[in-house]
Amino acid sequence: MAKSVGRNDLLIFEGISKKYKDLLALDNVSFKIEEGEIFGYIGPNGAGKTTTIKIMVGLLRQSQGNLYISGYSMPDEKDKVHKLLGYLPQEVAFQDWRTVDNALTTFGKLSGLEKDAIDHRIERSLDIFNLSDVRYKKIIELSGGMVQKVGLAQALLHNPKLLVLDEPLAGFDPETRYQVKQIFKKLSKNGTTIFFSSHILSDVEDIATKIGIINYGHIMKIGTLDELKSHFPLKHEIEIVLSRNAGRLNELSSLKGVKSIKQTATNKLLVQLDSNTDLDDIAHELLQQFIKLDYRIRSFNPVSISLDEVYLQYLRGGA
Amino acid sequence: MSFPLLFKDELNGFYKSKVMIFLWVGLPLMTILLHLWSPDTRGSISLTSLSAIVVSSLGGTLAAVMLSVSIIHEKTRRVYDLFLIRPIKRWELVISKFLAVYVCLIIASILAITLGMAIDLFNTGLNETILNNALQSFAISISMMAVSSAAGTLIGVAAPSVLVGVILVIYGANQISSIPLLPNIMKISNPTPFTIILGAIISCVLLATAVLVFNKKQF
Repeated sequence: MAKSVGRNDLLIFEGISKKYKDLLALDNVSFKIEEGEIFGYIGPNGAGKTTTIKIMVGLLRQSQGNLYISGYSMPDEKDKVHKLLGYLPQEVAFQDWRTVDNALTTFGKLSGLEKDAIDHRIERSLDIFNLSDVRYKKIIELSGGMVQKVGLAQALLHNPKLLVLDEPLAGFDPETRYQVKQIFKKLSKNGTTIFFSSHILSDVEDIATKIGIINYGHIMKIGTLDELKSHFPLKHEIEIVLSRNAGRLNELSSLKGVKSIKQTATNKLLVQLDSNTDLDDIAHELLQQFIKLDYRIRSFNPVSISLDEVYLQYLRGGA
Repeated sequence: MSFPLLFKDELNGFYKSKVMIFLWVGLPLMTILLHLWSPDTRGSISLTSLSAIVVSSLGGTLAAVMLSVSIIHEKTRRVYDLFLIRPIKRWELVISKFLAVYVCLIIASILAITLGMAIDLFNTGLNETILNNALQSFAISISMMAVSSAAGTLIGVAAPSVLVGVILVIYGANQISSIPLLPNIMKISNPTPFTIILGAIISCVLLATAVLVFNKKQF
């Protein structure tokens, strides 16, 4: 019997704990993910990311707590959940004798795809991941990045409602990473919910609509990127991009509240402010000075804290 | 029900493997070699029976090693993750693996025993003894191989490493697989049904244990 859940909640983690003998890998972890969200899960090695994911997909059984996916309880209603699920493990592996085509056909059929639909779906998946040329090759003969692509293709083949991906972008070159991120964004727009773990924080920053930080099995913080950043004050720095080369920086340095001005590129300046300066006041004054000096400004942005810094702050207990 | 699909899939993987090619070609070839080495089998053990014993001991051991090593290898590489997150039952995965190897072994056994029987027929002409021998040999062969394969499956599921798996197969599976021979050794009259029943019971117990262990395993 499916649990009645919030209107858009696809996944509910409710006080989940996992114990391996004496080690508490997850401690009372709770969060919800709405339909269509891209949830980025970050944390150091051994923090509990993979354990969370394995419980989510039913490979591990929680020691305590409830997990609901699309209203179905895990692991009791595993079979129903597994029909909605696409999964990419951290290190995807296939039997040595399998070709790309054979792997996708088998996993497609096991996921419940009809015989008639499989060929079309495989062709589409191979096309998306540029794998058409290696369709009949043995997977064991492919490079690590290609195998990872086959892993993603099998996860997406049956149009799952929930995609659970453990480090999906690791091992890809920058171009492929960009393409895969675009695919994730497109899937999310079409209603697919994506839960992924990553060590590459820039990727998380690029695509995640919600971010969870975990350490020592505890959830440190969950929220949108802006929500996570809002706990930290803006940095006392302003980045200014000009339409031509900067000059006469001395006149700006003498402004009250300006600590230093660094030219980071020919037309890019980083203005560092005294810590007790009001950002709004100095921003106004700086703008006036630039106009007075006849500079043309392309962009003028107070520098906000990056996800890397937010992450480190949370891990060090700074928030 | 994913079982037929998984069985077909495993069969597809196993029948192409080098071990299976060896069994399908090597075992019948061994029957011919046995004949050439000892062409006159009249009065002693028939070539049909000899082929069956060779097939079941050699083929059974090879199948047990292959099954256990392949399961341990796939288990440690986490190959099963992609199966277990799909709507299939864990027992389907274990039994399909066993059955795929077992079917391949039966084919190898039929080939070798048929060849042995053909040579016996050529040497002695058609008589009831040859047919009885063939039936009994086939029963011994399929019973011993079922036990070997089931033991290989259990060892594969339970053993933590390939080395441990191979040692267990050599010292464990090999010995257990000879239990179905007991009715023949004990000279029970009409031992064939006993051989088959004994083989089936031991295989079922081993497979049920393998399924239980696999169900309890957290990947």
